[in-house]
Amino acid sequence: MFLLRELLAEIRIATAILGLRHDPRLLKLPPYLSALCILVGTVWLLLLPLNEYSRQTYVSENALLPGQVHTYFGGSEHNIFRAYRHEVHALEHKSAEERTEKFVELLKDCGLKVGRQKYEYSSAGNTVSGENVYAVLQGPRADATEAIVLIGAWRNMDNVINYSGVALVLTLARYFKRWSLWSKDIIFLLPFDSASGSQAWVDAYHDAHDPLHVQPLSIKSGALQGAIAVDYPAGPWGHRFEKLHIVYDGVNGQLPNLDLFNTAVNIASGQMGIGTTLQRMWHHSDSYRDRLMTMLRGMLSQGLGHVSGPHSAFIPYHVDAITVQTVGDGWHDEMSLGRTVESLCRSLNNLLEHLHQSFFFYLLMQANRFVSIGTYLPSAMIIAANFTITSIVLWVQSGRPAAPSKVASTSNSEKEKAKEPDLTIVKEGRNVALVPAAAFEVIERHLFLPVGFIATVHFLGLLPLYVFNTAPQATLKASFTIFTILTLVLPHAFSQALARIPPQPPTPQQITLIQSFSLLLLGLFLSALATLNFSLSLMIGLLSTPFSFVRPSKSPILVGLMNLLLAAMAPPVVMGGIAWWFGKDVGELLAQASFGWHVWGMWTQVVIWLVWWPAWVTASVVAIGALY
Amino acid sequence: MDVDKQKALLFGSAAALRLLLFTAFPSLPDVLAGRVELSTPVTSFKRLQEGLFLYNRNVSPFDGGTYHQSPLLLPLFSLLPNAQRYPLATSLLYVVADLVGADALMKIADTGVAVSSRLFTSSRRELRRSSTTIAAGYLFNPFIVLTCLARPTSVFTHTLILQATSRAATGQSITFILALALASYLSLYPLLLFPPLLILCYDAQSSAKPIQSTTSNALTFTIRYTSLFFATIVALLLLSYGLTSSWSFLNAHYLHIILLPSLTPNVGLWWYFFTEMFDSFRAFFLGVFWLHMFAYMPALSIRFRTQPLFVVCALLGVVSVYAPYPAVGEAGLFLSFLGAFRHVFPLMRYTFPAVSSLLYCTLLGPAFYHLWVYAGSGNANFFYAITLVWSLGLTVILADAIYAVLRDEWEVERPDMRGKEVRRV
Repeated sequence: MFLLRELLAEIRIATAILGLRHDPRLLKLPPYLSALCILVGTVWLLLLPLNEYSRQTYVSENALLPGQVHTYFGGSEHNIFRAYRHEVHALEHKSAEERTEKFVELLKDCGLKVGRQKYEYSSAGNTVSGENVYAVLQGPRADATEAIVLIGAWRNMDNVINYSGVALVLTLARYFKRWSLWSKDIIFLLPFDSASGSQAWVDAYHDAHDPLHVQPLSIKSGALQGAIAVDYPAGPWGHRFEKLHIVYDGVNGQLPNLDLFNTAVNIASGQMGIGTTLQRMWHHSDSYRDRLMTMLRGMLSQGLGHVSGPHSAFIPYHVDAITVQTVGDGWHDEMSLGRTVESLCRSLNNLLEHLHQSFFFYLLMQANRFVSIGTYLPSAMIIAANFTITSIVLWVQSGRPAAPSKVASTSNSEKEKAKEPDLTIVKEGRNVALVPAAAFEVIERHLFLPVGFIATVHFLGLLPLYVFNTAPQATLKASFTIFTILTLVLPHAFSQALARIPPQPPTPQQITLIQSFSLLLLGLFLSALATLNFSLSLMIGLLSTPFSFVRPSKSPILVGLMNLLLAAMAPPVVMGGIAWWFGKDVGELLAQASFGWHVWGMWTQVVIWLVWWPAWVTASVVAIGALY
Repeated sequence: MDVDKQKALLFGSAAALRLLLFTAFPSLPDVLAGRVELSTPVTSFKRLQEGLFLYNRNVSPFDGGTYHQSPLLLPLFSLLPNAQRYPLATSLLYVVADLVGADALMKIADTGVAVSSRLFTSSRRELRRSSTTIAAGYLFNPFIVLTCLARPTSVFTHTLILQATSRAATGQSITFILALALASYLSLYPLLLFPPLLILCYDAQSSAKPIQSTTSNALTFTIRYTSLFFATIVALLLLSYGLTSSWSFLNAHYLHIILLPSLTPNVGLWWYFFTEMFDSFRAFFLGVFWLHMFAYMPALSIRFRTQPLFVVCALLGVVSVYAPYPAVGEAGLFLSFLGAFRHVFPLMRYTFPAVSSLLYCTLLGPAFYHLWVYAGSGNANFFYAITLVWSLGLTVILADAIYAVLRDEWEVERPDMRGKEVRRV
């Protein structure tokens, strides 16, 4: 008896669900579902800094043994360092050619093989040229199959001369030469500047350079296992620092293996007693706010995909690299930094295989706390999913005949439903349900116009991509202004064209399909992007959230509001706003982006102009189209 | 606009698009030629260049160990100017191949054999799409366009398959045999299409001529054209022998397809399976995989005896998923071919999810391949997982199309069931 009742109840529930499947109310749900997705995605992100969701970092690779070796850099090396620092300081006002000569001479004196490399890049009408100097220390126990790179760029990312950094690399070159324990070659690289010098060098090292602009390397060693850049811009009289700032972002948001970062933190704080910090968080109190701030700064830098130090160029070549930068006023001197770098080199020297144990996808929120991809990826994926959900719903809607009556949604009791004439019996297993026959009707979808429209808009995205990557810097600002106006006018022009040019104005179904396809593509691009550059995908996803909610409307007030909101969210407007917020000139920003495109192989622009911009144009056309 | 003008416009714009992509982005074809999703070891344009280099220097093209394609392609390509220095001639050849294929597809659509063959007429035959639309679905299919730019030799196989089908559908038996024999000679798998195409050709001939369709007639027809088909293949093989004066091409070309020695990743299911396999099981599983791929041909041919064109379409789908070295070009051919069956589209149930999953794979596949091979932060499982989803998406489309055609057949038998929900028991 009990079982039978149970069974009946089950049938009733199943029938209810089956009936619900075709309930028109179900189609009202998705906007809320989309909003829920966005909310969950955002809250998820905000939860990450909590202790329950982030993890303590740890070194996975056994061979690294961070801080387990005694470091001998000290004593008389200090005098040598000071001498080198004065030598380097004396080069400040010399010509680039003389400086290169001097570096070559200094490195040759250490007994190393020295090479030099000229390069010249041009972008946005500007030309950047320089000459790198590098030397190879052949490891006494090495067979020239593997190498570590130690970098001291002449100028750091802030364009300040890196006197002590270069002097330290020179001192270490001389010092390392004496040791017999190196089982990898060590390459000492003195790039001309941080943004392009190491890029030219690492491109040429992997024979991926453009021979018209970059010279090939005269001497090479084996596969690069790791690279450490030293940024210590203290003048000839030294400067005692407080902390080490570890910079780890690579081009296009790629990150080095977390083990390398952990090793650096471990050595600095554990062995040397130097505090470490990251993402320009000079004062980190380990509070929720600071952790979140660190994480968001890291995401911003990852999302923009620009170069953050001389190490960045190495990461796309699967060479794990970091920059060690000195910050603040404290009591640590150059010898502590030297010993830290020595210990790091010793750890890398121990490696038996390429770093692979630890994470390549992570968000750091403090020097010793992180979240790995499994924990954070869902937030971007959920946000990307909201577009896909809306797109599926719009697709289903486009196949439904225009709702004739509201009877089905208002009649709730089953008795009333049974009286309706146009009902169909649905059987599934042993369950039976009555549903309106209209729920099964699928009307013909006209795909040609929507597909053509989407293709056209995406194709138009190539225009800004081309213009902003090739125009000279002087015209960038003007062309950006013109383009912003064009962007804002374009949806109106499209709506006019759609209403006038084809045989008949687009049907509501076609508008729905246009939005459906646009959101499908957006969801598609963002979820693929989330696996490559999580932060960029999340940022574009959040900036695109209104696109899920715009619907064609006849009411001029509603359309005006939507139009206003969308205009405020237009990609060029947002970009201009960001530039204004950070007090930067748009033209300069675009010139930098163009430089990134040509020199670093940065593709943030592609995402902006070919993913975000077309989605915005389509959403605006959907919003205002009904007015024309 | 009349049909000829439409056709001229379509072909002109398709050719213009391809030539624009070839000339405006000169490095694009070479980048695409290196993509594992588009070129396989048995179709790759880069390997063809290698073979051509050896051939032009009077060395056996198979000596380098990288060329695994037909020897008859070499004299054809050696007539063209060097593809590195003057790429236009080669590009034109591929563009023309695509256009010839699209033309064949239009002819297939014009015969209307998809909706009404000799033994079967669909109740939805009014839902036909114009042949121009179907050809546009082929010429502007992104997979076909990308394949054309990557220039694998499978483009010629596709063209020949389409030509063979259009000839069979119009009952031109000799040209059908020649085209299919050449396609089979180039890629081996078109052999599978021979039985359904023979049925198609027989149906076309017997409905055109007032001859009696008897068993003995059918038998004579089968024997005559089967022997002609195999004789053509033997002739082509002998010609290849004459060209290279050794039989080494059998080993380097056909055994390379059959025994799967190259485990270069591709969008199919074989490579990963065979990298993981112990050598002792290899022969057994090769047999199983081939048997599996072969098994669809008799099954579909018997079940869909009345609609041989659909068998061809379904087999193209099977090939795009279960072939040893598939590429997205095969999937593109299948999807475009499916456009001829417009009348069953309303009966298909999972089009949107399946097509969306294919689109997702189209983006995630290269992304994961990048993570695995270039960034080093992923591994082979990433890419393989995506190829599984890709195969799943294609399989769902294939199964859904088969369901739709079966349902369409059933509704001809029982017109009262039209529009009713059914349940499989």
